[in-house]
Amino acid sequence: MKKNVHYPNFWKKIILLLCWILIGQVGFSQTSNVITGTVSDDSGESIPGVNVLVKGTSVGTITDIDGSYTLNIPQGGTTLVFSFIGYRSREEVVGTRSRIDIKLEAALSDMEEVVVIGFGEQSREVLTTSISKVDAKALQSIPFPNAASALQGTVSGVRVQSTSGQPGAAPRVIVRGGTSINNPNGAAPLYIIDGVIRPDMNDLSADDIENMQVLKDAAATSIYGARASNGVVIITTKSGKAGQTRVSYRYDLTQSEPGKLYEMANAREYLTAYRLGHIRPAKFPDETVRLTLPNGFGTGNDLTNNTAFTTQFLTPQNQYKLDEGWESMPDPVNPSRTLIFQDNDIQSLIYQTGISQNHHISVQGGTDKATFNAGLGYLSNEGTVVTTQYDRLTFNLNGDIQVKDNLRVFGRVLYTYNTTNTTGQSTAVTFYRSAGLAPTSKIFFEDGTLAPGTSSSIGNPLYFLNNRVAESSGEKSTYTVGAKWDILPGLSFDPQISMYNINNNSYNFQPGFLNGPLNFVDTRVANASTYQWRQRQADLVLSYGKTFGGSHNLDAKLGFAYFDRNINTMSATGRGASTDLIPTLNASSEPTSVSSSITDQVILGYFGRVNYDFEQKYLFSLNMRYDGASNLGAANKWGFFPGISAGWNLHREEFWQNALPENLLRMKIRASYGENGNIGGLGDFSAQGAYGVGARYAGLPAIQNTVIPNPDLQWEQSRTVNLGTDLSLFDNRLNFIVDVYRRVTDNLITSLPLPQSTGFASVLTNLGSLENRGFEVELSAQVLPSRSRIQWNLGFNASKVKNKILRLPTNGIENNRVGGVLIWNTAAKDYVWSGGLQEGGRLGEMFSRQQVGIYSTDEEAANAPLDTYIVSSNRTKYGGDTNWLDADGNGSIDSRDQVYMGQEFPVWTGGISNNISYKNFNLYMRMDYTTGHTIFNWAKMFIDTNLFGDNNMTGDKYENSWKEQGDLAEYSRFYWGGERVQRNNFNGTVNSGNTVFFESGDFLCVRELTLSYSIPAKVVSMLRVSAIRLNFTGNNLHYFTAYKGLNPEEGGRDDGRYALPRNYNFGVNVTF
Amino acid sequence: MKNIKLYAVLASLLMLTSACNETLNVDPTSVITTTNFWRTENDANGALTGMYVELRNLSQSLHQLGEHRSEVMTPGLFGEGVFILHRNEMNADTPGHPDWSGFYRVINTANLILKFVPDITFASEARKNSMLAQAYTMRAFAYFTMTKTWGDLIIRTEPIEGFGAEVTLRERESRSQVFQLIKQDLDQALQLYPNNSFTVGRSVWSKAATNALKGDVNLWTAKLLGGGNADLNTALAALTEVDLADVGLLENFSDVFKFDNKPNREILMSIRHQDLEPGNYLWFMWIISAAAPNNIDQETREKIFPTGGGQGLMVMSEGVRSQFLENDLRKDATYFDIETINSTGEKSYLTNIQQKFKGTIIGGNRVFLSDPILYRYADILLMKAEAKNALGQDPTVEMNLIRQRAYRENFGSHTFVSGSQEENNKAILKERLLELVLEGKRWWDLVRFGKAFELVPALQNRPGQNHLLLFPIDNTVLSQEPLVVQNPGY
Repeated sequence: MKKNVHYPNFWKKIILLLCWILIGQVGFSQTSNVITGTVSDDSGESIPGVNVLVKGTSVGTITDIDGSYTLNIPQGGTTLVFSFIGYRSREEVVGTRSRIDIKLEAALSDMEEVVVIGFGEQSREVLTTSISKVDAKALQSIPFPNAASALQGTVSGVRVQSTSGQPGAAPRVIVRGGTSINNPNGAAPLYIIDGVIRPDMNDLSADDIENMQVLKDAAATSIYGARASNGVVIITTKSGKAGQTRVSYRYDLTQSEPGKLYEMANAREYLTAYRLGHIRPAKFPDETVRLTLPNGFGTGNDLTNNTAFTTQFLTPQNQYKLDEGWESMPDPVNPSRTLIFQDNDIQSLIYQTGISQNHHISVQGGTDKATFNAGLGYLSNEGTVVTTQYDRLTFNLNGDIQVKDNLRVFGRVLYTYNTTNTTGQSTAVTFYRSAGLAPTSKIFFEDGTLAPGTSSSIGNPLYFLNNRVAESSGEKSTYTVGAKWDILPGLSFDPQISMYNINNNSYNFQPGFLNGPLNFVDTRVANASTYQWRQRQADLVLSYGKTFGGSHNLDAKLGFAYFDRNINTMSATGRGASTDLIPTLNASSEPTSVSSSITDQVILGYFGRVNYDFEQKYLFSLNMRYDGASNLGAANKWGFFPGISAGWNLHREEFWQNALPENLLRMKIRASYGENGNIGGLGDFSAQGAYGVGARYAGLPAIQNTVIPNPDLQWEQSRTVNLGTDLSLFDNRLNFIVDVYRRVTDNLITSLPLPQSTGFASVLTNLGSLENRGFEVELSAQVLPSRSRIQWNLGFNASKVKNKILRLPTNGIENNRVGGVLIWNTAAKDYVWSGGLQEGGRLGEMFSRQQVGIYSTDEEAANAPLDTYIVSSNRTKYGGDTNWLDADGNGSIDSRDQVYMGQEFPVWTGGISNNISYKNFNLYMRMDYTTGHTIFNWAKMFIDTNLFGDNNMTGDKYENSWKEQGDLAEYSRFYWGGERVQRNNFNGTVNSGNTVFFESGDFLCVRELTLSYSIPAKVVSMLRVSAIRLNFTGNNLHYFTAYKGLNPEEGGRDDGRYALPRNYNFGVNVTF
Repeated sequence: MKNIKLYAVLASLLMLTSACNETLNVDPTSVITTTNFWRTENDANGALTGMYVELRNLSQSLHQLGEHRSEVMTPGLFGEGVFILHRNEMNADTPGHPDWSGFYRVINTANLILKFVPDITFASEARKNSMLAQAYTMRAFAYFTMTKTWGDLIIRTEPIEGFGAEVTLRERESRSQVFQLIKQDLDQALQLYPNNSFTVGRSVWSKAATNALKGDVNLWTAKLLGGGNADLNTALAALTEVDLADVGLLENFSDVFKFDNKPNREILMSIRHQDLEPGNYLWFMWIISAAAPNNIDQETREKIFPTGGGQGLMVMSEGVRSQFLENDLRKDATYFDIETINSTGEKSYLTNIQQKFKGTIIGGNRVFLSDPILYRYADILLMKAEAKNALGQDPTVEMNLIRQRAYRENFGSHTFVSGSQEENNKAILKERLLELVLEGKRWWDLVRFGKAFELVPALQNRPGQNHLLLFPIDNTVLSQEPLVVQNPGY
């Protein structure tokens, strides 16, 4: 019945074809000219590793250790192109010569760099689309656990948010704002690593990366058609180069300090606030009995293991504790009695200083016939939260051999193995609930055993973090075999076949634990799960290149792509182990759940490209792709995605050259239009509807209709218009790349919320349309002239993106709005539905009640408008309560008085880099900034307003809240439990509260400061090595921000965040 | 020669890239899609179980709707707030109770069964009829609860299979139309049940439970929708028919609620909660560990620990607890007073925990897996008493059956003696409180007896505001159901 995706006929065909190519080669050869020569730099030193390419073809070679090369030029080849990173590319017409020796000029300009485009490379000089390249410096000195972090602030048009300091955690990468209404933060770009498509770039060693760039506009990405509308990140890993064999070794030692902590109130403050917090106006029920209970501030505690807290009245029996460091104070409620207690800094128990190490060794080498590269890396990265850790082992092996004059074959293996340890708790528990455990808690009982705190969700971090296992391991491996066959002059065939596998295993175990001092839970839940991703990909590309009449350059490609992916998961949970000693399932006495699933996807594509230029003056490019995907509705499996772009190099025009001195101003203007697809938000079989399994009732298995089918589901289609210019001034000392774009995504796979009476929450449809508009600029400057002994390169980039919802599924409501709030609109002098999702609106808007101030006295509060948020029929307000803005002036505070607080997504992002070199010293500083996003500091509101288990508050709240009649305060009065009645901050939902907790997330981060020193050649040669570089690096050194939470990088609701650690790194690089 | 090679490559490429559409037809392995479901009896069985999974998701809601607005609840030690229903302070912004999506999910599962099951071949026709009967009863139960809550309703009798405006945009229809459907469904169901037996541990609908529901529905329409004696007689007949099944009062009141004693003979219909299945019933009426006192006696310690996920948000009010007489055997089985002992040995009341739905202890942890009871035999007796009294008949037999068990050896001094219709009503309503408190019945009882404004403290100063007898509709519902208008008064 079921068709097997696992070994389709397709694979047989591909393997046959490859055999045919290899065997078919024997006996054929071509007529050609042989050219030899050497390549040297300005000073006459030979340059090994220079690319020598017959223009318009893929025929080429690399210079050897002496800078010399030999190349067979196929018939019709007229021009050689010499290129090498850091040098200006040069073209030479062969004519009748058989020997060509040339000199390459050093180039510092971005304008002459070579960028990787899909299935090929192009010089920026002739590029007509929008592509940004990551500064190699950013990858050099920090041993990144996740190399995507190097994108932060280094390229324009890309928003990178480091949302977690968990070692190895991937930052969020969103290109040009993404194209999703339902899940704007999930709009990840497509990653292509050495031609292999991947869902992310996790676990790649930065040391293995040769270069990294981002394809941004649709004309550039349309060659990847169906999945490219969120941008494409292309990474090339290091490979062998002809010439000298090089062995290099790198070592880094890093010390990580916690990035940021809350400043919590101390025990005295805690006790004062909580004990007085029970003396409340008469409208509240009398709950002073709690002052006598065994809780954080109550006096019902004793010195036994039965109570979790130290607070108690001073008695002759416990007086000796004062000699052991306990403190005392008069009871704020009844100063005639004395409280004794311990003052613990609970938060400090969560954190540690992390020590990390990174080793990487690589061997590179080869001849013009064969090259080889082997890289081996090991990173051990300790987090700043106790028990968090990431270890990674990486292998990168690749080789390339010339089988025949016109045939090269290569193979590549990229392998990583990692283990990750997390806290096994939610971020809420780890970062603010635990931090909010009463400072009077016992950390240890009198008998020296660890005390548990209140309960597992507000517990003693020392007890809970060390009494839990949450480890996962992952393998990622890529195997690639490919060839490059020059069939005819100018015509070549490049097949590449790859397999990409992910194997993840994880296990969790909760040993027996005290859930509060009196409740020992020994369920001992254990879980194990596996996840396998098997992906196979084949890309077959025919390329044709030729120069006609000396000035018409043509380069064309035609390709076919096959992609299939199978995900196979399994997980099992058990409980009832009799011991804490074995964390795996074999110890469980009872299985509680098992599950597995298998799911497949197949995507096929045909693609083509034509690049044409006339004397590099008029540039033209056409990309297209026709893709089909298995998970779309039956009627809409295929989609066509074209991209077209054109450019004009003004400085190559005669009139320009006549009017301006040479190289004063070089300028290209370019324009592009393209269409992309996306099906990222679509499950493998959602179009067909779903009946879910797994639920049970009374032990019987249930089947539930969970998804309504929609056979009409089709590709999301985004159209992008991009205008750009590449400018360079003063002989390339000042370079600009500027882009503006407008992208409209239609047929967005959007969930259409259904009325509650349908019994379904939503259905996936193609009815949304979203617009992103943006502006991007990249500037690089060589501040001092090249003859100066000090070199200073300055880089700056800035990007702005704004989104607007153009269309939503018709639902009979104005603007087809979904969600949102009905609030007073001052301009319209009426109530207007705002926020949510509505046509003409933006994503991620937040609304909340606005605090005008805090009532200073009861008399002042007596005149307050009627506050309908108060949860009591007695709506009296008192001094210390929040004075809310009555936006509509109707004398009543209700949901319609909410005001706009800001929105979740950053508007401006960018970075600044400085690289200063003097002799052997180099100083590199990189900063990045993000502005425009607003954060709802839920974590702070939660702990400040006593929403949970008698928790401690921040010092800020204690200091600045209303305490007595007449106070002019920043925050409302602290009532015990009163927040749930008076609603001075919290409004009963998690989406909004009080303006004082809506904060700007704007920040400027000093991301990297590196001082490096290359040991002089003379000294180095005595050591029989060829180079030694030392560096001292600070990473995530400081955030300039007003945000009061732990991590300002992400907008929206802060539900506990792992702040990025401040890293101090010493690194050494030795090349033999 | 060259051209041959070129053509060969092109030909190979074409060969490779042919037959692609076939390659794109991938079948699912681990999910069932709409196209391949509803074929066999097994499919129908799975879907039927799915319907009860949806019902279980409503357990908490049923309790909230049926109990929280009455005089039963008062805030616990965990602080105040979230008691909008208790204070009868609902409004469209914060209605404080669940919206109707869960109920319509239940209805949709029933509608799917009613649409597809008739065309499936079953090994036994009786099994098929029982399945259809359960779906009809379930639909009636969901609409009954909803119309008691919100009044007029959108009526859906077809499953949702598409999302065009004709399906999604509906207006509410009148209460009487809703009741017409409910009664019609109940009659259909009663004809279809093959016999009077119970299955799946009395946690799925049965003929007896359907009769109970029918009695309940007709008492409601008799008293509140002008159904009069006709409906009262229908109710009484249906309730009397319950006796044909294997049901009766247990000897000990507390045995009805014992975790190890489910299902028992008194139960007609309960919602099954069990280990390894989701559900967490009345956890918020247990004490939270953070508020658990230390200065208590051993008995108290054993009663309250382990606290599990207890939250102590709500406890039974003084006003209700004080109505239990000392020798009422139901008292200890209903709630437990926690008292602390001070340094001089004096005990003082701190708070209480409920005792009917205590859950059980697994791995040292309390899990609140007691079954919510929709109908049990004592409820049937009291509904019969209520119907008889309304018809001018004598309710003494039923009342005394209840009291005999409640007071056992002290029954003599608590015998029910029939008085005026008004006096009897008062006694029956109070007996229902003592017998059924915490079982999600009280608010409906107060409404049916017309005593809400009299007995609920939060409503005592608002007589005449009859719109309060219905609940408001959440603004988020109104914003997604554009043809639905808010209940008057909210």
